[in-house]
Amino acid sequence: MARSQPVKSTPIRKAAAPIATLCVVAALIAAAAASERPPRPEPATLSSTPTPSPGYLHFPSPTASPAAFPPAPSATHATLPASTHPTPQRPDYEWHEFYFTRAAYSSGGYGWGRGGRSWAIDYPKSDRQFMTVLKRLTNLDAFDWENAVTLDNPALRRFPFLYALEVGYMSLGNEEIEGLRDYLKAGGFLVIDDFWGSREWAQFEYQMGLVFPNHPIIDLELDHPVFNTFYEIDEILQVPAYGRYWGGRTSERDGYVPYVKGIEDHDGRLMVIINWNTDLGDAWEWAEQPDYPLQYSTFAFQMGVNMIIYAMSH
Amino acid sequence: MSGLFEFLFKYRPVLYQEGDFSFLSPWPLTAAALVAAALAVPAVLTYLRARGKSSRADRWVLGVLRGAAFALLFFIVMQPGLVLTSVVPQRNFLAVLVDDSRSMTIDDRDGSSRAEKAAGLLDPESGLVDALGEEFTLRYFRFSSRPGRIEEPGALTFDGSQTRIGDALSYARDELQGVPLSGIVVLSDGGDNSDEAIGEALLPLRAASVPVFTVGLGDEEMEADVQATRADMPERALAGTSTIVNVIVEATGYAGRDVPIIVEDMGTIVATEVVTLPPDGQPLVTPVAITLETPGTRELTFRIPGQEGERVLENNVLHAVVQVRDRTEKILYFEGEPRYEVAFMLRAVRTDENLQVVLLQRTAENKFFRRNLDDPLELVEGFPTTREDLYRYRALILGSVEASFFTHGQLEMLADFVSERGGTLLMLGGRRAFSEGGYKGTPLEDVLPVVLDEPANTTPTERIAYLKVAPTPAGANHPATRIEGSAEQSAIRWDSLPPVSTTNIVTGLKPGATELLEGTVVMGGQGEAANRVVMAYQRYGRGRSMVLAVQDVWLWQMHHTVPLEDQSHETFWRQLLRWMIAETPDPVGAAPARESVEAGEPVTLEATVLDEGFVEVNGARVTARITAPTGDEQELPMEWSVAEDGRYTASFTPGMDGIYEVSVDAGRDTVSLGTGLTGVRVAPGTGEFRDPRQRRGLLERIAEETGGRYYTPETADLLPEDLQFTGGGVTVTEERDLWDMPILFLLLAGLLGAEWGYRRKRGLA
Repeated sequence: MARSQPVKSTPIRKAAAPIATLCVVAALIAAAAASERPPRPEPATLSSTPTPSPGYLHFPSPTASPAAFPPAPSATHATLPASTHPTPQRPDYEWHEFYFTRAAYSSGGYGWGRGGRSWAIDYPKSDRQFMTVLKRLTNLDAFDWENAVTLDNPALRRFPFLYALEVGYMSLGNEEIEGLRDYLKAGGFLVIDDFWGSREWAQFEYQMGLVFPNHPIIDLELDHPVFNTFYEIDEILQVPAYGRYWGGRTSERDGYVPYVKGIEDHDGRLMVIINWNTDLGDAWEWAEQPDYPLQYSTFAFQMGVNMIIYAMSH
Repeated sequence: MSGLFEFLFKYRPVLYQEGDFSFLSPWPLTAAALVAAALAVPAVLTYLRARGKSSRADRWVLGVLRGAAFALLFFIVMQPGLVLTSVVPQRNFLAVLVDDSRSMTIDDRDGSSRAEKAAGLLDPESGLVDALGEEFTLRYFRFSSRPGRIEEPGALTFDGSQTRIGDALSYARDELQGVPLSGIVVLSDGGDNSDEAIGEALLPLRAASVPVFTVGLGDEEMEADVQATRADMPERALAGTSTIVNVIVEATGYAGRDVPIIVEDMGTIVATEVVTLPPDGQPLVTPVAITLETPGTRELTFRIPGQEGERVLENNVLHAVVQVRDRTEKILYFEGEPRYEVAFMLRAVRTDENLQVVLLQRTAENKFFRRNLDDPLELVEGFPTTREDLYRYRALILGSVEASFFTHGQLEMLADFVSERGGTLLMLGGRRAFSEGGYKGTPLEDVLPVVLDEPANTTPTERIAYLKVAPTPAGANHPATRIEGSAEQSAIRWDSLPPVSTTNIVTGLKPGATELLEGTVVMGGQGEAANRVVMAYQRYGRGRSMVLAVQDVWLWQMHHTVPLEDQSHETFWRQLLRWMIAETPDPVGAAPARESVEAGEPVTLEATVLDEGFVEVNGARVTARITAPTGDEQELPMEWSVAEDGRYTASFTPGMDGIYEVSVDAGRDTVSLGTGLTGVRVAPGTGEFRDPRQRRGLLERIAEETGGRYYTPETADLLPEDLQFTGGGVTVTEERDLWDMPILFLLLAGLLGAEWGYRRKRGLA
């Protein structure tokens, strides 16, 4: 006989989800306040200057000097010896099944962020808060902290889940194109988020065309498994950026309608999921703010959980 | 030697063995001894008292020599003799059994065949038959797979497919039950290939005092021969599955020579493996990888081309019948948490239409994600709670799920899944698996092929170790772990794969378990063993249990050192999952008692019928549908064998060569319990040519245990006389004189001569 607890195999209904999320958000605020680790870098603002690790797990540590950490990616990633993988032994190293890995791509000096590093928007607060909620909602063994990796770093292949945002400013070099292409072909899964309007779409589409010239971008309908792997999602909401939700308006530029699109490999495996005209990352980052609408953070967490569980089961 | 004995002692040794020694003189032995003593004592005393030149020693020597001569004379005078029991001429019967099997056609070193030698011995014009015929009434029998009476030796055809000496002896004894039987003569090469022990047939003969006289035919050693002795082909295979078949090869006179083993599927070559022939008498086990694509009942042929100088080519070939199934087999994968291993494994086998990996993944407390279902209600209540629900799957994979998730009843059910249902259980590594998952002390601890230690009180991060994985010698030739065509190529491929990690400390194998992959710690794992068990399996009851004690095999697909086109990861999972279900039985199974028979020989079909809970069913309605090579169908009801639960049998006799396909349907009331498929190969057998040497040892044992004797064709002319005194039947007592044995007179002359010579030498003459 199975254990006496009821076994619930159907996804949580949307009606119950906001209540659960409220509890989670409250816990999130408490957890963030109790965190012993000082936030590093500062909660993602336009002035933050995060530095991506070269593919190792980058553990913020107040005692770690820049020299003690692996040097900057541009200096090492091209010649990183295979013997340094898997992940090196470090006193503060923690093994986990899942690392929320952020793509540190090149943007040619354009876009948001100091130095034009648009990949670092919302970084790392968004990543950390999402992991806190993710661990509350699922039994996934996830690393608590952020993990940014450049696309041309061979160690990227140790993290089959990858998150990238603000891809309207993406400007990939040849090594990055090759690295991302091989990553996805080998079995990696890329989630795109937070880019708006036709101009940014065009830039992203051009960049993905360089990665996959022969893989069309397709629409994902609501009957796609990614919408019911964990939560039953029956409507795609447009999640606004924090501070841009004025009087019920959620869009930016000409991105009025949110889309969830995808790119499949030749066998039909979904390699890339594209959240266009929406900003899930901002909702993760600012979920604890009382003036951020609950329905959007709820949806963002639901969609985020679904994408991760999908990546780990399909 | 035997001739010298006969010259000295007048008769052959056999008469001394069979007869009783006696003095035939009418004088009582005591009286005669007294008379002899009365004569001898004075003579000796005279010798001893005589004086002259002789010394005391001379007198003693001469006295003893003279005394011995007197004693010998006394022995002769007493008329020593042999008392023998001899058969009464023409009052007894003698059975002559002749091996009529195909091995009798093998040519010996002298150029003549065993059949020709037998025919020569039994030629009516030959002295042997005449001599036997003078004493006995002869009855001829032939034997191979079945014995039979023949009027004369000329009726032999030497085309029998088997040699069943025990059956033949019993048959001859029964046929001649009511007549005085002096003995049985067997002419054979001794190549008995029946399943029965010969001893059972010999006991009644010994009890009835019927001796068996064996005449061994054929060379006792082959100077040049290659033999494909056995191929361990499974009865069932899944279409497209790589199967490793161990082929055992023996050779004489060709040590070091490279020869190919060619495997054909109904005439199409599916594999070729070159082997170096071993030294004489040493069997060589050669693993051959084959993949069968065509479903149905298939006949496989394993063939080694004939070598120069080889006289027997029939034993270079082996045949096997295998059921190749092309259907989708269900495997349940229960994963206790979201893990990449799930996604990558499912992707690896997603194009394999024969595998349906049903996923039940716990994604949150009491929340499950299901995939690859047959119907929406499958596993809707979570992990199966009844045997019927669990036994629907042919194999079970347990991921990172703690033992406390299951009730004790479910853990027992998991153990029964292996031992009773015959399924395969695979436990994957993970933070909630093995000791770390609390399985020590549970029913699954017994099932697993590895030793579970006390769980370490450490975190996964403290335990994690990265392992360089390599196949063990067993793994190099195992279908689950040979990821390339040859063992050498496979080893290279394994060496190219990156390390994978484990948070489980698995180091000890259970007795009887087989380790397929071993891991060497290349990073982490401080304070623990440097070598770990990565993959191992063992048989447990009807099924098998297996472990894969690492947690990120997906690195063999994803790691940057693995080329994108590399198929190691896909091949590994595909072969592993296929191997796991290859031998899992169906509820209804069928098999012939003998896989290969000859046209006209009856075949016994056996079926095992179980219900959906894999409990034997005795009252089932079981029907065998037999399809002949011509397409003609025949339905045969199968009867429950009372001796064994769930077992049903039926017999049929195939009339022509070819493959007979058999489909066994079982049902109870109106419910079908399932269908079992099997096949019977009908063809002239080659079993007669396995080990074509004469089995002299068996023939000697038959003779010895029944009181008979073993002969070669050259000594067979002694048979008539031996039979006279060693046979049973109607006999009389006969006395034979021994006083005139040459040895006695030679001895007497020797004693007297020695005395004379001694005198001459000592100057006493």
